[in-house]
Amino acid sequence: MSEEEGRLIRCFASVFPGLTSEEIRTTSAESVGAWDSLAAVTLAAVIQQEFKIDIDPLDLPELDSFEAFRTYLRRRRSLGE
Amino acid sequence: MNLIDALEILKRPTSDAARDLNVFLACGFTPLHLQTFLAAELRVLLPGYRVEIRTGIFGDLIGNLERLDASGVNSLVVVVEWGDLDPRLAIRSLGGWRPANLPDIGESVSQTAYRLQRVLVQVSQLVPTVVCMPTLPLPPMFSTRPAQAGSSEMQIRYTSVSLTASLSRQPGIRIANAQLLDEISPLGGRLDVKSEVMTGFPYSLHHASALGGILASLAHIRSPKKGLITDLDDTLWAGILGEDGVDGISWHLERHTHMHGLYQQFVASLAGAGILIGVASKNHPAIVEQAFDRSDLHVSRNDIFPFEVHWSRKSESVAHILNTWNVGADSVVFIDDSPMEVAEVKAAFPELECVAFPKADYQGVWDLLKSLRDTFGKPFLTEDDLLRLHSIRDASAWRDVVQSHAESSDDFLKAAEATIVFDCSRQSGDVRAFELVNKTNQFNLNGKRFGESEWLSFFNDPAAFLLTASYEDKYGPLGKIAVIMGKVRGLKLYVNAWVMSCRAFSRRIEYQCLKQLFETLGPDEIVFEYEATPRNGPFRDFFAELLGAPPAPGACLSRDLFAMKAPPLFHQVKGTVNV
Repeated sequence: MSEEEGRLIRCFASVFPGLTSEEIRTTSAESVGAWDSLAAVTLAAVIQQEFKIDIDPLDLPELDSFEAFRTYLRRRRSLGE
Repeated sequence: MNLIDALEILKRPTSDAARDLNVFLACGFTPLHLQTFLAAELRVLLPGYRVEIRTGIFGDLIGNLERLDASGVNSLVVVVEWGDLDPRLAIRSLGGWRPANLPDIGESVSQTAYRLQRVLVQVSQLVPTVVCMPTLPLPPMFSTRPAQAGSSEMQIRYTSVSLTASLSRQPGIRIANAQLLDEISPLGGRLDVKSEVMTGFPYSLHHASALGGILASLAHIRSPKKGLITDLDDTLWAGILGEDGVDGISWHLERHTHMHGLYQQFVASLAGAGILIGVASKNHPAIVEQAFDRSDLHVSRNDIFPFEVHWSRKSESVAHILNTWNVGADSVVFIDDSPMEVAEVKAAFPELECVAFPKADYQGVWDLLKSLRDTFGKPFLTEDDLLRLHSIRDASAWRDVVQSHAESSDDFLKAAEATIVFDCSRQSGDVRAFELVNKTNQFNLNGKRFGESEWLSFFNDPAAFLLTASYEDKYGPLGKIAVIMGKVRGLKLYVNAWVMSCRAFSRRIEYQCLKQLFETLGPDEIVFEYEATPRNGPFRDFFAELLGAPPAPGACLSRDLFAMKAPPLFHQVKGTVNV
């Protein structure tokens, strides 16, 4: 597990405390009942603060799973952000 | 605190023994992360509590307060923003910023402030209330350049400040201090425009965290420390008295020792607020006497008691002072410029807060004063705060007299010309009574502490009573020194709390209190919710002597037994009864 993935898992775990690390890796808005609009806003805020990035609100609807966030972070990093 | 840290704190399990702390967070915006930070800060401050935060309806701050059912709410936290005073002052509203709108906005702010004041005064009588007035910048709606404060803007700010000043005088309200918030959350970094527009939550995470911390510290009452023990040389003044002489010590701008003058001024302000000040100095007593004769000193010898001036170890001085004050080391701060002395005292009293005075460090002294203000600050000053030093001095003299004339204490008590004023009521608004019950250790029936909401709800029961006693004799007043609270059930009186200040020992006030209960409330029997604590030995000894047996929970005292056991009482008694 990369350091970045570990930090992302920690972000998810803080918002969805019932999930294990394994479950978090495959989690999505569809699979987790607690992933409502409030949780989505909180998750985005936690990730923005943790990774010191600014997430464009227009990107938020696409960020609906752990994998989507991981890909998003990778893309941001490759752009040097 | 970062948001992820706050969320992780909230994930921690609470113990089964944890007590519930129900907080209502009233605000007009989406509470979102402020709620998270507030809950996390409260969990950190109050690890023995299960924190539950409820919130109201978006955009209706005053309605949320008017609809509040205070039963079951332990603390109310109210966060006001400009948009609550008039929606046109918030980003999400498009009600018009034309210059022609400004007089109407000013008038609307004024009317809303009036409504807010009325509802806050009402609700704060039912539940302890913390209020934070607007923290965000006003929008760029005024016709002046940002560098210029125009009259419309000033009128809006004036209304807000007037409301704050008025609310700060209410005993049930604590106001979040804008100055502290300015220090830890600079104005320019508070507003998160994107978050406000997208979610209705206007704060940056940093600001929400800072505000959550301040609000939590106000929602949780912390007992301030009671006393300060200070060194003299290179601490209260610059210079070594024994070497530089009385005229050689200084605290003056021209000698570059002004920070010692500030420290003196600060110590005097603590003394004026009822904080006990003692001196522990390795010096000749006579020369210290002369130093305190200097008229330019900013702290008087009357502000200080006792003086421990000799060449013995500082820890011995501290022990004498703690004994004279009759307070625990954990309630006191010791300040000395010598790291060695600080270490010696700390080793002897690990629970004592020991601070090295940062001599020749201007910013260090300033920071020390700020830190001490946090340590000793209290929500309100009571009349008893102003009497405390005098009464400690008096109590010490009393102990000496009584110990040296034990065989004739009746004569001394008679000659003291003591007066006790009792007040028996069902009123919960006695700040001094609340404070005494929550800080007295030795003469304490059971060590029970009351939260503010618990205190308020206790007196909602029509059977409840509160008896307080204020004492004065020819040596001076001690102020309000005893509190008994309980409930009347037929011919039985149930006492749930009984405390008496240690300053009032040896005067038979405790017997007069019982006599007053029998005479005023007329029970045949008083039942005491007694419980032994590690520190209530003086109460246990008194009670054992009275009952003729070691006390136990639910111990009873009959009218007849009391009449048989009570010693002669010489106080003049005055009283008011409102139950």
